[in-house]
Amino acid sequence: MENIQKKLREEAGRLLEEKKVDVIVGYEAGTLPATATPCFITLPEEAQKLVWNSFCTQNLAKFVHDMISQHRNAQKRVKPEDRKKKVVGVVARGCTSRSIVLCLQERQYNRDEVVILGVPCTGYVERKKLSAALGGEEVLEAIVAGDSITVKTPAGEKKLALKDALADCCLTCRFNNPVISDVMLGENAAPMDADREYEEVTAFENLPIEERWAYFEKEMAKCIRCYACRQACPSCYCAICFMDQSQPQWVGIGEDATDTQVFQLMRLYHMVGRCVDCGSCVSVCPMGVDLRKFLKKLDKDGLEMFNNRVGASMEDVPPLSAYSENDKDDFIFNP
Amino acid sequence: MSGQEAKENWEPKIVAIVCNWCTYAGADLAGISRIQYPPNVRIIRVPCTGRINPFYVVKALQEGADGVLVSGCHPGECHYLSGNLSARRKFATLKRFLSYIGLEGDRTIFTWVSASEGERFAKVIKGVTERVTALGPANKLVKKL
Repeated sequence: MENIQKKLREEAGRLLEEKKVDVIVGYEAGTLPATATPCFITLPEEAQKLVWNSFCTQNLAKFVHDMISQHRNAQKRVKPEDRKKKVVGVVARGCTSRSIVLCLQERQYNRDEVVILGVPCTGYVERKKLSAALGGEEVLEAIVAGDSITVKTPAGEKKLALKDALADCCLTCRFNNPVISDVMLGENAAPMDADREYEEVTAFENLPIEERWAYFEKEMAKCIRCYACRQACPSCYCAICFMDQSQPQWVGIGEDATDTQVFQLMRLYHMVGRCVDCGSCVSVCPMGVDLRKFLKKLDKDGLEMFNNRVGASMEDVPPLSAYSENDKDDFIFNP
Repeated sequence: MSGQEAKENWEPKIVAIVCNWCTYAGADLAGISRIQYPPNVRIIRVPCTGRINPFYVVKALQEGADGVLVSGCHPGECHYLSGNLSARRKFATLKRFLSYIGLEGDRTIFTWVSASEGERFAKVIKGVTERVTALGPANKLVKKL
């Protein structure tokens, strides 16, 4: 990882120096120990700020879309011949690169507006999981080495297995290496345990219907509708979200439990064939709602029904953007 | 009406969202031909099934519909050529997802009825009403006012 970080800084500095990109989105060390936070770099000398480690959590494709669409909106008032293109460089692990593929497929920006600095990924440490494994103790310092993580807490040092702290989505990740990149930093990382990716979903599918509903109700009751999941999600880029619309007002704004359920249900459903399972929504959720259990089902359906893995390649179109005459008809009611 | 009485006299409310070109005409034909079918259905006419936002279905359930029926032209017969084909993908995933989170599968029903199938329309409504009646009043996702 040290090696990749060094290469990343060099490469980022070079791209900025040569003016191949206007800005680079990456991670810098966070203000708290054992965290990393997204940062934006425009000067070559700032490239030394960049880090790449197991604490880099957020999916940066979100910022790529935000910056490019904002820039394009700002350019609308400029004479066509004076319009400038903005190129964004982005540090992309597997899931980030898949989000970029999805945005490209959905024609959100052009391939030449983004420069992808691919990094191999071995999974990131999920804050909530780490804190649960430590019994809520404060983290003063954390060092990842091989398969274990050593955490310094006020009570002393603790050594944990890395898999107890890695995010759930990383443990069974199928695409931990970028699917597209302009510059690949380092060798491809070893695959994760992808064969077990749908285990949790299959187990949930086999529960009785009332238990499934009870679980959904219980999880959604935690939600305080802060919309952090929507803000963090790289696939949630609508200019006006259905939640903010007032004509029609799709979802009530009160405290009603069903309004929360409908909000979550529809946000989840919008992820059919669009969720790359990056875990950003799960990691930002302040209430610890188990969103992944539902998102992963949509992923599984996309694969089973339409043989599609989100963002796996540029040719694989999102399932709901296409149709076929031979789609399955088994859910159709025939009296 | 007392609570008990209301329970006994309960009749399902079914929202049918149908396309203008096939199922709506099919319903019209059923009416002209005086074919009898249960009066539990409230029909909403839309230009095409492809125009139906899956949110309509969820919203109907939230607002107290006991069942939702979506019906359009048979695949390959869409007035707009491919509206029902994209709708089919949307509803296939929606139906699966709703039953995954624990809503009964029979509350959301999708079917095709063409303009010449008045008989089939009556049969569909009969079938849907029977299924929803068997499930009883909706109690999941329903907004209590």
